[in-house]
Amino acid sequence: MSETSAADLKRELEVLLRRAEVAVPADRMDAVLAGYGDLKRMCALLRQPRTAAAEPSNTFSLVTLMKGA
Amino acid sequence: MSATLTAKPLHELSIAEAGAALRAGQVTATALAQDALARIAALDGALNSFITVTAERALADAAAADAAFEAGSDAGPMQGVPYALKDIYDTAGIRTTCHSKLLVDNVPAADSVVAAKLKAGGGVLLGKLSTHEFALGGPSFDLPFPPARNPWNPEHIPGGSSSGSGAAVAAGLCRMAMGSDTGGSIRGPAAYCGTVGLKPTYGLVSRRGVFPLSYTLDHCGPLSWTVEDTAITMEVIAGHDPLDPASADVPAPDFRSGLDGDVTGLRIALPRHFFAQAEGVSPEVLAAIDNAASLLTKAGAIVEEVTIPDYELFNAVGRVIMFSEAFAIHEKDYRERPLDFGRLTFTRMILGATLSAADLTQAYRLRRELAVAVNHQLLKQYDAILCASALAPAARFDSMSDAFPPNWPIQTMPFNVTGNPALSMPAGFSASGLPLSVQIVGRPFDEPTVLRIGAQIEKALALTGLRPTTATLRQAA
Repeated sequence: MSETSAADLKRELEVLLRRAEVAVPADRMDAVLAGYGDLKRMCALLRQPRTAAAEPSNTFSLVTLMKGA
Repeated sequence: MSATLTAKPLHELSIAEAGAALRAGQVTATALAQDALARIAALDGALNSFITVTAERALADAAAADAAFEAGSDAGPMQGVPYALKDIYDTAGIRTTCHSKLLVDNVPAADSVVAAKLKAGGGVLLGKLSTHEFALGGPSFDLPFPPARNPWNPEHIPGGSSSGSGAAVAAGLCRMAMGSDTGGSIRGPAAYCGTVGLKPTYGLVSRRGVFPLSYTLDHCGPLSWTVEDTAITMEVIAGHDPLDPASADVPAPDFRSGLDGDVTGLRIALPRHFFAQAEGVSPEVLAAIDNAASLLTKAGAIVEEVTIPDYELFNAVGRVIMFSEAFAIHEKDYRERPLDFGRLTFTRMILGATLSAADLTQAYRLRRELAVAVNHQLLKQYDAILCASALAPAARFDSMSDAFPPNWPIQTMPFNVTGNPALSMPAGFSASGLPLSVQIVGRPFDEPTVLRIGAQIEKALALTGLRPTTATLRQAA
């Protein structure tokens, strides 16, 4: 990864953490950043060609809701 | 009646053997409990598998079991049998810490469903077991309790997150230990510690009262020394729970129906590319899986190489869902007392804060596609899948890093994503004397076939007599 993209990645992470209202101590930032880079790679894998009809696995179901009522 | 008339040392009796000895009057539940407590006192100082030893409760449970036997009352196969629980299972009046500073004084008012079932079944609770913090962050040295160690070599990790469960069963401290599995937390410790570990079908065992890591990936299941003991435990803990939103309203199968190990005519898929081409795979693990495939073929099964979707797709789905759901559970503590999390938990779980709603939805969509690929395409043609659990023997503690996924290669997450039953079991030993393993995956709610194949491998390999030596354990202590 180039120096620029590494800096961009860190800025992006800092923005997301600020939005989530969580603070990362300085001595833990490198580990979080490494994990964030890996997670971004994984998120890219999730984007695959599929139709709008492809629903998620845990579509809301009243049957499961009612059984514990 | 004599307290002990068995040929084997008490700690080596399986649940099945202990149950037979108890019912034949050859041993008492009190003798089993006292033996286990003495062994814990002598050996666990170096293994750290227990966070809390419930000696009084164990002796009371044992006395109750002995009284029941005396009165001719039998609550089932766990009556009088010592077991322990991962310290994320709620136990009424007994602290449940999740191995975390955040819950170090947490004493639940009620039992988890599994704890209640084991109690009602006459089991003898020895205590609560080490875990990675909140079933995620470990092995760590910055938590209120030290990490569990591997009984085969305490310089090596026992795997996680059910680290104490694997270590305690392997060291012969308890007959069975409950674990939980969100991405491999039962099967990893089973693989590294040389025990049997079953992640049941999603929804088959109630998760109510077990601290969640990830609602849609969490499974509760046992670690034990033999396939038969796994089946026996499942008889006691499986079943519909209308108050667990994920619980499946299906009849529990006959878990012992396949224990004869007859695999004649079973069709078993071997996705060799899945693990053989993975980074970090050990040639010793490959040889162990190939040997298991060969043994099954000789026993009459039809083993065929197949291809399944790339491991990285399963892993991506699992990680995105797990981090999202875990962070949602712990969001408040991340804002209000972040430094009470251990370093590894903190740096891993916080990744959930960076994910978008679209990321999570895409993960759920791909999850369905992968579950269809495994269940509709592959397991329509095959009865089971034979693959790798851990890709290498247990790593040394001094090789650990902050990285996540951790730097111990393992291929268990796919079947948390799909929800299929998956068994990790011993398949040999490395040249360095550490356990090797295989994983058997079945159709949803078809644990009997998984256990049938496991029973055949167990019989053919005949490894159950090999345990960490007391000499090794005492040296470690």
